[in-house]
Amino acid sequence: MPQFFLNKRLIVLLVSIIILVALIGFSVREREKLSWPEQFLKDTTGFVQNIFHQPVQFVAGFVENVNDLQHTYQENKRLKTRLDEYVKLKTEVQELEKENVELRDILDKKESLRDFDPIQATIIARNPDMWHEKTIINRGKIHGVQKDMAVITSKGLIGKIKITTQFTSTVQLLSSMDPKNRISVGIYGKGTIYGFIEGFDQKERLLLMKKIPYDVKIKKGSEVVTSGLGGVFPRGLPVGKVEKVESDQYGLTQVAYVKPSAELYDLNHVIVVKRKISTTESSSGAGAEGDDL
Amino acid sequence: MSRLIIPLSAFFFFMAESTYADLFSGEHFNSSRIFVPHFLFIFILFLTIFGSTKYGIIYGFIFGFLFDVVYTEILGVYAFLFAFLALVVSRLMKLVHSNIFIAALISTAAIAALEILVYEANGLIKDTGMNFTEFATIRLLPTLLLNFAFIIILAFPIKRIIEKANFESD
Repeated sequence: MPQFFLNKRLIVLLVSIIILVALIGFSVREREKLSWPEQFLKDTTGFVQNIFHQPVQFVAGFVENVNDLQHTYQENKRLKTRLDEYVKLKTEVQELEKENVELRDILDKKESLRDFDPIQATIIARNPDMWHEKTIINRGKIHGVQKDMAVITSKGLIGKIKITTQFTSTVQLLSSMDPKNRISVGIYGKGTIYGFIEGFDQKERLLLMKKIPYDVKIKKGSEVVTSGLGGVFPRGLPVGKVEKVESDQYGLTQVAYVKPSAELYDLNHVIVVKRKISTTESSSGAGAEGDDL
Repeated sequence: MSRLIIPLSAFFFFMAESTYADLFSGEHFNSSRIFVPHFLFIFILFLTIFGSTKYGIIYGFIFGFLFDVVYTEILGVYAFLFAFLALVVSRLMKLVHSNIFIAALISTAAIAALEILVYEANGLIKDTGMNFTEFATIRLLPTLLLNFAFIIILAFPIKRIIEKANFESD
């Protein structure tokens, strides 16, 4: 087919490849905010998606409710057995909370890494190309959402805010393959073990917790929570449970495989977490660690 | 109305893709396989085959770019690939008779090409986390299966929408 590569066509093709590479180069770098045409497009589609999403979510919710009804009896039985336990726990927690407040008063320490303001949001879209695990929520800058905030469901952490526009924001999920997606976490047992959530095992669908010292023992089933030491996330958001532990490829540190406690699919209502204690960003001395959340 | 029906249905497929991705995924079928919907791309291919090549490429570029901006945030990949593959498909359709079964087969082949090219593009930009055999079994085959089923279900309705828009009169 000689006319496929006519001269004019060839030139158009080459020019468009150059533009393509330039565009990719422009957009792939870590950007603080999007250019205004992008923001405009995202806000407009976000608005339409918000409308489009309501009836769809209604139908999906109805199907889910019917499904739930089928399991109600068994669930009820199981929950009843745990009710007594719950009452005991509740009184304990109340006592501890009261004591905590009193002790804080004595120490005159008002702020804690744990405190945060919630912003309720609804998922309106998800990236269909599943290379970049991202979802779009219907809350943006004017609702107080900022870059790098943690996003949780009632069960645990699901990701962080990647970028915001006026009325929508993009959430980068934990399962996304991004080397810059690092979260400082800890396992709080007898001694505290710190590490980073870095990466996701596509095949087994487990998170990788890396940089754990080689000499600590981690029990299977230990709870992994955010440590709050990265400077942006609050402390104590549940991330998941340890499934297995291996030493890394050089044998210097250990890698724990963590099963996320929150469902990363079929998301509907999420909470954007705004930490109350001031972030380290104002004292931007720790440049190299800026990415660790 | 007939002027609006093509952009409106393209935009509908554009949003349906993301809703599908949100509601259904491999985890619902109890497997780690990834099913990627390419409804919009199928619509663009059918537009190229049964409508006009020019419109197919223009729509491919515009909606590909919208896809890049809204979903992936890496500009240019889908805009370029949608338009380029629409062009290739229109050339291929000149060699064969354009009946709907051939169109369905060629669309599936084009989706395979799209998936592989996007995989390579992502491999250049960052770590994709899977090698080619893993990619083929976890992602490519389930995706082709899903989209072939989608083509079988919606080929005739899409064809009718495009014929209604009546490109010959333009």
